[in-house]
Amino acid sequence: MSLGFARKRTSNGGLASAKSRFVASVTIPLLLYESLGVFILGWAFALMFFDYSPGRLGGPILGLGGSNPFVGLGNFIEMVKGTSVEANLFRISLKNTLIFAVVILPLNLAITLPLAWLLESIGSRFRALYRTIYFLPVLTSSVGVALIWMTMYDPQAGWINAIIRFFGGTPVSWLSDPRAGFANVSVAMWAVILAYLWQDYGYNMVIFIAALQGIPLELKEAAMIDGASPWQVFLRITIPLIRPTMLFVCVMTMLSSFQVFDIIQVMTNGDPGYQTQVLMLDIYKNAFRYQNMGWAAAESFVLFLIVMGVTLIQMRLLRTNWEY
Amino acid sequence: MKRKLFALIAILAFVLAACGGGTEISDEPASGETTGGGQGPTVIRIWVHTNNAFIAGYDALIAAYEAEHPEVDIQLENFDYELYLQTLQTAMPAGEEADILQLFGTWTSQYYERLAPVPAEVMTVAQAQELFYAAPIGGYIVDGVLYGMPQEFNCEYGGVLVNKTLYEAAGLTYPPQWETMDDVIADALVLAQSDNTGMMTTAGFHFTSADPTVASFLAGIRQRGGDYWNADQTGFTFNTPEARAQLEWMAGAVDAGVVDPIVFNDSTNFVIDAFFQGKVGIGYIGTWAIAEGQANFPDFADEWDYFYLPAIEGDPVFVADSGWGLTVSPNSEHQDIAWDFILFATASVDNAAQWNIASGTIPAMPAVAESAEIAEAMPWIPKALDILPYGQYLGNMPDRDLVVYEIIYPHILNVLQGVETIDQALETIDAEANSTFR
Amino acid sequence: MTATTLPSPRTARQIHWGKFFSRLLGYLVLTLGLSLTLLPFIMMILSSFKTNLETLRVPPTFWPENPTIDNYLRIFNDPDLPLLRFYANSAFVAIFNVVTTLFTSALIGYLFAKFEFRGKKLLFGWFLTMMMIPTQITMIPSYVILARLGLINSLWGLVIFSAVDAFGIFMIRQFCQTLPNELLDAARIDGASEWQIFLRIVIPQLGAPLATLGILAFMNNWNAYLWPMIVLQRLEVRTLPIILTWFNSTHTGQGGLVMAATVLIILPILIVFVFFQRWIVQGFTMSGIKG
Repeated sequence: MSLGFARKRTSNGGLASAKSRFVASVTIPLLLYESLGVFILGWAFALMFFDYSPGRLGGPILGLGGSNPFVGLGNFIEMVKGTSVEANLFRISLKNTLIFAVVILPLNLAITLPLAWLLESIGSRFRALYRTIYFLPVLTSSVGVALIWMTMYDPQAGWINAIIRFFGGTPVSWLSDPRAGFANVSVAMWAVILAYLWQDYGYNMVIFIAALQGIPLELKEAAMIDGASPWQVFLRITIPLIRPTMLFVCVMTMLSSFQVFDIIQVMTNGDPGYQTQVLMLDIYKNAFRYQNMGWAAAESFVLFLIVMGVTLIQMRLLRTNWEY
Repeated sequence: MKRKLFALIAILAFVLAACGGGTEISDEPASGETTGGGQGPTVIRIWVHTNNAFIAGYDALIAAYEAEHPEVDIQLENFDYELYLQTLQTAMPAGEEADILQLFGTWTSQYYERLAPVPAEVMTVAQAQELFYAAPIGGYIVDGVLYGMPQEFNCEYGGVLVNKTLYEAAGLTYPPQWETMDDVIADALVLAQSDNTGMMTTAGFHFTSADPTVASFLAGIRQRGGDYWNADQTGFTFNTPEARAQLEWMAGAVDAGVVDPIVFNDSTNFVIDAFFQGKVGIGYIGTWAIAEGQANFPDFADEWDYFYLPAIEGDPVFVADSGWGLTVSPNSEHQDIAWDFILFATASVDNAAQWNIASGTIPAMPAVAESAEIAEAMPWIPKALDILPYGQYLGNMPDRDLVVYEIIYPHILNVLQGVETIDQALETIDAEANSTFR
Repeated sequence: MTATTLPSPRTARQIHWGKFFSRLLGYLVLTLGLSLTLLPFIMMILSSFKTNLETLRVPPTFWPENPTIDNYLRIFNDPDLPLLRFYANSAFVAIFNVVTTLFTSALIGYLFAKFEFRGKKLLFGWFLTMMMIPTQITMIPSYVILARLGLINSLWGLVIFSAVDAFGIFMIRQFCQTLPNELLDAARIDGASEWQIFLRIVIPQLGAPLATLGILAFMNNWNAYLWPMIVLQRLEVRTLPIILTWFNSTHTGQGGLVMAATVLIILPILIVFVFFQRWIVQGFTMSGIKG
């Protein structure tokens, strides 16, 4: 008893210092580690103002300067009005990235929201099974997804053309025909969009399912009893209630589609004729194939600005409409 | 847990210390470690790209050299081709590259700042030009200084795989008797097949992969008497009548129906894959495809052989890259031994022949190419002897891969696929290629 | 329970029939979606049992004509393809990253939730910023640093920059704020050190969010492609997704073989998932929306 009291006294006296020791023992290594992050970020920021290639000797500090000259805003000016192959490819990649993201979003929502709602409203012991299967493509490595879809898109031995042939249609060289298109988007782009949707939609479905589960059952039942059809319930009650989730899903889907890389790199590597060259792929090629790292850093910054813009819009919208 | 954090701090300190050092060359190069102060053999490291046939050739050379020089231990490390570039680019600034580096000759002008020049007592520029064909040695000479020795003649021009089974099934004379390119087109038109929906299933003459397209484009310009370099090699001239004539010829062949570049190009039905699946009659590709096709498609049952195309006009003048060869790192502590090994491997007729046979490559030395040993092991090389002396070096481009793979090929393919006009393509190629000079 | 007035018999029957049809329709749509989801997997598995000649057939066959396990045998017996080594590489990277990020997320999230210190807002703002900065912007300098450290081609290179995960910190911070302070103070009064409190009291409370975070982190690391492709250039240190592209590029035109490799590489995580799937949905409920 007296021992416990003594301990309590010492711990009482040392409580504040024990706490601050604990804080220090965590924050000091953390600050050190994060200073590495600051350093990397600063370096990334500096790089975009240089014509930097790791193959050249360059100046004394991080190889900047010297044979890796400072170009100021040169990279950005070139992006806007340059005629070099890098500038042309950047503008093509930016356009393709925007197309990709803008097409993906509505398609994704049109699939995931109704499916999630159906799955939730049906309610049965099969629900977990359905949910599990819908989520399988999300877990699959994008490389695997790309390879599976490549075999299906094969112009000769692929299943998709086999089905088209069966119905008497004209087969399409899905991943290599630069002439064919639909709604001003090339078939190759549609092909990667479809594969990406297949891989990605289970993710949003799970988010929607989680949100739908959060809606109080009483609300729906009350509406049904008042004579509302399921469709009306969906439109008038469900949609407004999960609006924050929808906004979240929209933004996350946009963000990830702006940064798409894996599936396109494996399936088309930007072909045919750069019709599927997206920004991440262009950044990768410039940085690691052509050692044009200053340019690639400047491109990353543009991508960052886009991502930042989308994120800020997200925060704006979510702040006003967060709780229900 | 505290220990873990301590480890984290230690790592951080290490990271920061390493980064603070900037890009000055590391003061302790990892290369050329000797074990125990002069005792034991001197270790020489060689980096090469992954190609099993090449590696087999190097292993034999290393074994032979070590037998003659027991005090030297040569260690070979290989890297996948696409990533060998990255490894070089990162290791060289850090000074961590091997003593001997396998380099594609054309790359030398991008790397020479970080390579050791060949000492005059090993070989002079004049001696090298005497010893090797012009195309292979050309890339290793930058501003009049020699930086390495070629091991192969990288000839992408003019060589074709021909499927005998398809030839005979089509009722054509085999082996083909081609006098002009028109004869090739005539054969190809008979060989080409499409299914009932109009999709091409067999390409008659597949010349639409990246390397063949660019090789035939550049050779066509030269054979028609034009050039894609300006007078002092400081800029490109792609928008010329000769370039237009060649591009028109290529587009004409596609229009005639020898190949559908939508279904047969570099990324879809690449010529090696398609040929060794029996989907190509005449497949335009360098000799290196032979070994690769045989290795990757062991089940392929059709009979085939390798031939050379006639010139489009006049002599079979063509341009070629400087192929794979060996260079030395200036950070190596044993440059003398490194050069001795390179001479042993590349300048000795017997050794070079053995390496070419093992790797299935065209010799870089006329003396080797004309040898009976080579003719017996690789019967298609004597067929190439008529054209090899016409090979000229491509020229030192600021970024050869960028010009070939991102500028020339994509625009030509666009023309052949009908999504770009010849005028647009030539203008864009000219503008974009010239923008690579900065 | 909620309905205080019973519906009239007529509307009840209407609801019953309406329910029946909408349920039927619902099942049809769901099952259609299900088949479209499963079909590519089924094609992959079926193709992996076909001979290479059969995979080139026009039109393609659905069932393998002469089912064969040759493709699998060729992969297992390929001396250039030490599959177990690649599984081990992937597992090392994934598990190491999961353990470190879980530990740092728990620790830093707890710190942000329960402690006051100078510069807390600034540090928090930094993590907020880090969450918004896409990895590609730091990819290039990170790569050059790894190259200078000689960590290219080292699995450690995949681990060093991912020790702290901003998203994880946020999630745990959110969760820790619900922990009662009395619980922690009681332990302090009993003489427990701050580290003991963290390890023995806080961590056990974080089971659910840590499990979710762990599964998501494992999935991301296991399937990571771009960064490992840049960092791991030598064959023997590569992780599974990069091996798969490499295998595909060296075996073009051999559809059956490539599909067999795909099956071998993606199947393990699918099986693991089936056991853990409820955590993922829970995790989204907790983190995705409210985090």
